[in-house]
Amino acid sequence: MSYADNFSKMQKGFDMGQAIAEADRCLLCHDAPCSKGCPADTDPASFIKKLRFRNVTGAIRTIKTNNILGGACGVLCPTAELCEKECSATGIGQPIAIGKIQRFLVEHAHETGFEVVEKKNQRSEKVAIVGSGPAGLSCAAELAREGFPVTVFEARGEPGGVLRYGVVSYRFDMDFLAAEMADIKKLGVEFKCGSSIDSQNKAEDLLKNSYQAVFLAPGLWDAVRLQEKKDIKGLYGSVAYLEALRDGQLDAFAGKIENKTVAVIGGGSVAMDCIGAAIRLGAKDVYLVYRRSYTQMPAEEDEKIEALNEGIHFLLLNQPIDYVLGDDGGLKGLKLVRTALGDVDASGRRSPVNIEGSEWVLPADLVIEAIGNKADDQSPAWYPQVKLNEKKLIQVDPDTGKTSMDGIFAGGDIVRGPALVVNAVQDGKVAALAIKAYLSQKSEE
Amino acid sequence: MPKKSIDLSIEFCGKTFKNPFLLSSSPVSNSAEMVARSFDAGWSGVVFKTLNSDRLKITHPSPRMNAFHYGAKRVVGVQNVEQISDRPLMDNLADFLYLKKHYPEHVLISSIMGFSNDEWAYLAKVSEDNGADMLELNFSCPHMCIEGTGHHVGKAFDLIERFTTTVKNTVSIPVIAKMTPNITDMTEPAIYAKQGGADAISAINTVSGISEVGLEDLVPKPNIFGIGAVSGTSGPAIKPIGLHFIADMAQCEDLAIPLSGIGGIETWIDALEYILLGASTIQVTTGIMHYGYRIVEDMIEGLSDFMAQRGVTRISDLVGKALPNLKTTDHFDLGRQGVTQYDLDKCVGCGQCYIVCTDAAGQALEWDAEKRRPSLIEDKCLSCMLCSFVCPVPDLIAFKEMPVTWNRAETQVMDKHLEKEITLEPFTKEGPNECTC
Repeated sequence: MSYADNFSKMQKGFDMGQAIAEADRCLLCHDAPCSKGCPADTDPASFIKKLRFRNVTGAIRTIKTNNILGGACGVLCPTAELCEKECSATGIGQPIAIGKIQRFLVEHAHETGFEVVEKKNQRSEKVAIVGSGPAGLSCAAELAREGFPVTVFEARGEPGGVLRYGVVSYRFDMDFLAAEMADIKKLGVEFKCGSSIDSQNKAEDLLKNSYQAVFLAPGLWDAVRLQEKKDIKGLYGSVAYLEALRDGQLDAFAGKIENKTVAVIGGGSVAMDCIGAAIRLGAKDVYLVYRRSYTQMPAEEDEKIEALNEGIHFLLLNQPIDYVLGDDGGLKGLKLVRTALGDVDASGRRSPVNIEGSEWVLPADLVIEAIGNKADDQSPAWYPQVKLNEKKLIQVDPDTGKTSMDGIFAGGDIVRGPALVVNAVQDGKVAALAIKAYLSQKSEE
Repeated sequence: MPKKSIDLSIEFCGKTFKNPFLLSSSPVSNSAEMVARSFDAGWSGVVFKTLNSDRLKITHPSPRMNAFHYGAKRVVGVQNVEQISDRPLMDNLADFLYLKKHYPEHVLISSIMGFSNDEWAYLAKVSEDNGADMLELNFSCPHMCIEGTGHHVGKAFDLIERFTTTVKNTVSIPVIAKMTPNITDMTEPAIYAKQGGADAISAINTVSGISEVGLEDLVPKPNIFGIGAVSGTSGPAIKPIGLHFIADMAQCEDLAIPLSGIGGIETWIDALEYILLGASTIQVTTGIMHYGYRIVEDMIEGLSDFMAQRGVTRISDLVGKALPNLKTTDHFDLGRQGVTQYDLDKCVGCGQCYIVCTDAAGQALEWDAEKRRPSLIEDKCLSCMLCSFVCPVPDLIAFKEMPVTWNRAETQVMDKHLEKEITLEPFTKEGPNECTC
């Protein structure tokens, strides 16, 4: 059977009427706080005002000029924590649905063929970008617009990074990604997929091979795991699990989930994607196992409520401690210990304390660990002259994205650790500006 | 006061209406089937769609209407190129008989428009003979192009008088003359109608307008196969115009006949405003086009409750009650001045007040970017009240009278030094001491 209907497509967003009605609710603030709340300076106050005054094309231009992935951000941003959190209209009711308006405008541009991205002058200095996730795409588009020839090196078979391999399709689908990617390709950005950097082909080598500057944005693709024994049948890290749902294996993979009991460990947005996917693929029971309580879960409020309404069982205050295997070596269950909340820890949340003697086993056919991503253990060898921190994250000047190595810049999760798409977009913009300044200065010398 | 003592009935031209709410002559009063449904919903009477004598066949343009939307707010106006009834006279008259038979307590007003004296007389007579309780003479249909019809008559005052006289000499039922707003002073044609014997005036018909131009084909809308036309605009957008004409006629001592108010009425408040300015019945079309006949329930209930709260038992006691407070601008007491006052506890920090005060008023607000709050420099406030219009929080900004000793700061002159470079002879000619404009 195919899951295309309820899995592979995003729900429809606003239409023109809904977008205009929402824009009409906007208070058109002076010195608008929503725009200050956008990490990528997408400037919602401007594009909503433009929509309000029927300058629809101008509204699209504002979004795509400020944020080449404005559509993706409109869909994926935790707006309740960003622009919409600052919305003055909250004072008289609900905040304006900024993310939905933003998504509509970008979709409208795609539907009407309205093109806003244009190249300025032609520059000769070539720039290499490593990674085609949000940071890489943003940097690539920004530089291409400035006229630089840009080549994006992507390790995987298709471009998009986390937008393709790290989000479930019912939240962000491939048609949408393709349309947004087309805006970038139109700028002349060249993509080399299946082309990774490694200890043989280092980032520094790119500087020797006719590239004048390099932007590193490979992302974080190594799932943090609960314990060493991870090659258990039925046990997945979130990265492999989500990738499997993307990579043309959906139907085959769905067979492993249908009518099974699935437990997902974690409390963030990725965990929410994992449980949502499992329930849509026909799992009998889906448990979300989280060691703290509901309010400490980092996932967005509406994601949590949606999961509850979808029938996910939230197992709060439970710490996974081991896996229970069957005679065939396959997964049979998840051993848990109940916790109680103790003192506030470094994250500002009350920390879980195991309750002695409360161990129990949750029977489960599949367990997915969604407890975060980290840098690949091998990654220091990919860019040996670039200074890293103890977590193997690249250290940069936050105002420019400059690394310790001249000509190499970096941004996105490989710098920040796990962060939002919109943060990565901003990193790409910041680095592009710095790269342009760097190359201009170099050409003067 | 118990609600049942409220009496919404009103006498108009000798007829008792169970409430002041009527359908106006328009697409919403096109047939007995429709009108019967409106009566069931609570409307007290109808001005039936203007009769045609069958002398000329009427074919309506297609499409017939266009909406005037404002932002997400739909249908703040309708532009309508429909003509008088396209039904055979027999059909309309049979519908008259049906309505009188099944709704004898409801008032049936026949709207007529003739192309000649004889035709006016003919239509008046067949209406009376077939149950019409009153006539409304359509001197204002904006879509008739022939001289001597529709609004052309409404602008040729002698024709109003002549046709009214003809009708009055033909029938004994009361006659209302319906006025076009597409003139400057409505009292003048109204008096001509009165001289012709009209028992009442109804106003306003639609306002000549263009609601929209198609941006693809550059054809004004409604687009009748490539052609647009100036035609009648109705709906909430034109209410201020209707209220103005009704008040003018109500204040005209020479006129002094009952008025039926029309123009942008959707709620009991709209209706009450017409009544307070002198209308004793009100007529509705566009509100029904937008929401259906059901809106009359809320008109009835809302007006009844208002009357109960004010201790008014009869609707006629409200007719014209606002007129003593309506004067020309030279009656204002300019010695009394005030400013706005802000209840900032309610403020949501949008800053729209700051924008309009800075760009369209007295630059009387300062903006605290940190706290996102305005602060008022009272002495610069013009009391234009623009800030209160854009403020999304009800009652946050109010008007406050200042002591007579208070003076408003003068508007800033950018560079006082330039005064010595001004070229100017003082104006010394004699003139009136007041602005009489």
